[in-house]
Amino acid sequence: MKHQIKEDNGALVVALEGDVDLKTSPDARKILLDAVTRNLPMVVDLSGVLYIDSSGVASLIEAFQKARKSGHKFVLAAVSESALRVLNLARMDKVFAICPSVAEGLAKVR
Amino acid sequence: MTTLRAASRDEAMELVAALGRDFVSTLDIERTLASALRRIADHVGAEAGSLFMLEAAGKTLRCHASVGPTDIVGLTIAADQGIAGRAVQRNIGEIVRDVSRDPQFNRSVDQKTGFTTRSILCAPLSVKDERIGAIQLINKRGGDGLFDGDDLNLLAVLASSAALAILNARMAAKLVEQERVRRELELAAEIQRSLLPEAEADDFPVHGINRPARTVSGDFFDFFPLADGRICFALGDVSGKGMNAALLMAKAASLFRCLGKTIHQPGRLLAQINAEIAETATLGMFITMVVGIYDPRTGIPRFSNAGHEPLQLYAPDGSFTEFQAEMPPVGVVVGEPEQSFPEIAVPLGGGALYAFTDGVTEGYLETGKELGLAGLKEFLARNASEAVPRRLLRVAEALTQSQTSLRDDVTLLAVDDRAAAAQRASRPAPAPPAFDPSPVTVLRLHVPAVADRLRLIRTAVGEASRLVGCSEHVARDVTLAVDEACQNIIRHAYKDLPEGEIVVEIVRESGKLIIFLKDFAPTIDPKTVRPRNLEDIRPGGLGTHLIREIMDEVAFLEPPLAGGNVLRLGKRIA
Repeated sequence: MKHQIKEDNGALVVALEGDVDLKTSPDARKILLDAVTRNLPMVVDLSGVLYIDSSGVASLIEAFQKARKSGHKFVLAAVSESALRVLNLARMDKVFAICPSVAEGLAKVR
Repeated sequence: MTTLRAASRDEAMELVAALGRDFVSTLDIERTLASALRRIADHVGAEAGSLFMLEAAGKTLRCHASVGPTDIVGLTIAADQGIAGRAVQRNIGEIVRDVSRDPQFNRSVDQKTGFTTRSILCAPLSVKDERIGAIQLINKRGGDGLFDGDDLNLLAVLASSAALAILNARMAAKLVEQERVRRELELAAEIQRSLLPEAEADDFPVHGINRPARTVSGDFFDFFPLADGRICFALGDVSGKGMNAALLMAKAASLFRCLGKTIHQPGRLLAQINAEIAETATLGMFITMVVGIYDPRTGIPRFSNAGHEPLQLYAPDGSFTEFQAEMPPVGVVVGEPEQSFPEIAVPLGGGALYAFTDGVTEGYLETGKELGLAGLKEFLARNASEAVPRRLLRVAEALTQSQTSLRDDVTLLAVDDRAAAAQRASRPAPAPPAFDPSPVTVLRLHVPAVADRLRLIRTAVGEASRLVGCSEHVARDVTLAVDEACQNIIRHAYKDLPEGEIVVEIVRESGKLIIFLKDFAPTIDPKTVRPRNLEDIRPGGLGTHLIREIMDEVAFLEPPLAGGNVLRLGKRIA
């Protein structure tokens, strides 16, 4: 799994790429939680995620809840088809705000 | 009345008529009582008067109206106490010309109020044997202040007409109350009818009919189509009749509507409804219930039956097959919502599946005979060529022809495969599945139980799934399910110790993909492996939910003697 973090005009874009599974989700969790502590509205770009399992979804939930607690917006954007399928199966598509593109995600959090 | 003086008699008749009118038009009996007493006291010429009515199941007399210098409204005495008590008990009027000579006279009121009672006239308020109370008049105005026989006759006439008027007014009030309750029941029934599904076109496979024995019903049926063309259906019968049954019916029907939209396995759906109802149901109330899902493309309904009458499958050759309940009624046993009730799947082959409540088989025909199961079957077979709604209507009509009202709610549901079977036959048959006489092992993989190897397992399982003919979507889902199951082994069975091993075995067996996952960790109790409650949004614990969501079958097999665990996952190849 790879990741990128960009600051875009007062918002943070965190992109995860590759497989987010039992092996890599501890890293994903750390990346997401660290990003939340920067106290900026956040867009998580999932366009490059080829595979995500329940541990990956759990990391997203944890970061989402932490962001919400500190009062910052948190959206998922450009979710890849395979990641969206897992979010649907886990019924998390109703929990997260999901935007079709990073640009729309940024517009939403600002 | 013959002893009344003529002039006084005419006046008395006028007063009787006036009293009757007052009570008929009153909305406030108490006020009308007070004005009636005042008019009677004036008419007879008494200084004071009181009107007592029996209360507390006839044990006490309470003063409802009084005229004169002392207001004693509210005064309550034992029903056999005082002059009034005596009049009520004997149900005849009397004059006590001089109270000082009557030991029954209750002096306490005079002592409290300073009023001096000399003479009392008292008549019971009664209609035949129905005693209501008594009217008492005190001290005749003018002269010696004593009443005479004419006064008593006059009071007796007025009292008996007042009694009749009071009784009428009470009955009218009761009717108003009954009417209010009836109207509320009508409203409840209307809401209940709105819980039943709307009738579909004649060629829709699922139809139902409900005829309540009373205004509201303890029975229900429901059905709704899913986006993929399958149809969910349910029929239930709440123990008991009346309002309490109707309320529980509303709850069960709502649970089915709501949960049925997301849970498409009848056994799991019924188990969840059971868990909900058992948690909150009133003691002693339960529901016999059938829940199912019918696929018109295959002609196969899958259903689960909790304590309900056996379902009847009518085959086009005229024969019937019965399917008994395999679980107790809903609400009887506290259950786990994640549990699944046993399911039955049976091809209808152009026939029809019937579910019905016992109100149908125990209903009376016009002849006075009970319809019975044999009678119902005969009815359904005889009308088999009719459209489904008409077939059901015929049965309901036969049961409502009888002179006696319905014994119990009548509810029937039919899943009819005839139209769908004809459509299946007209469509070119899909290529027959490859001859598949015996299970074929597609893959056997021994891997260390570590997170590092999950990717390898995913690749292998994905390829194997595609190989046996799964679509890309199904292959991806199955891969996720196996990955999650392996994670459970790594984290919970081996508890992240690195020496463990997982054996993944993939078998193709009669159109299904079967995956066995073996480990060699200490044997675990399958009951502790449960999907989490999705309402509870929190990280972790999602894996088991995903496995159950994706796979058609999830079961732990009997653990091998040598120890370890075997999980069997099954998925229809599609």
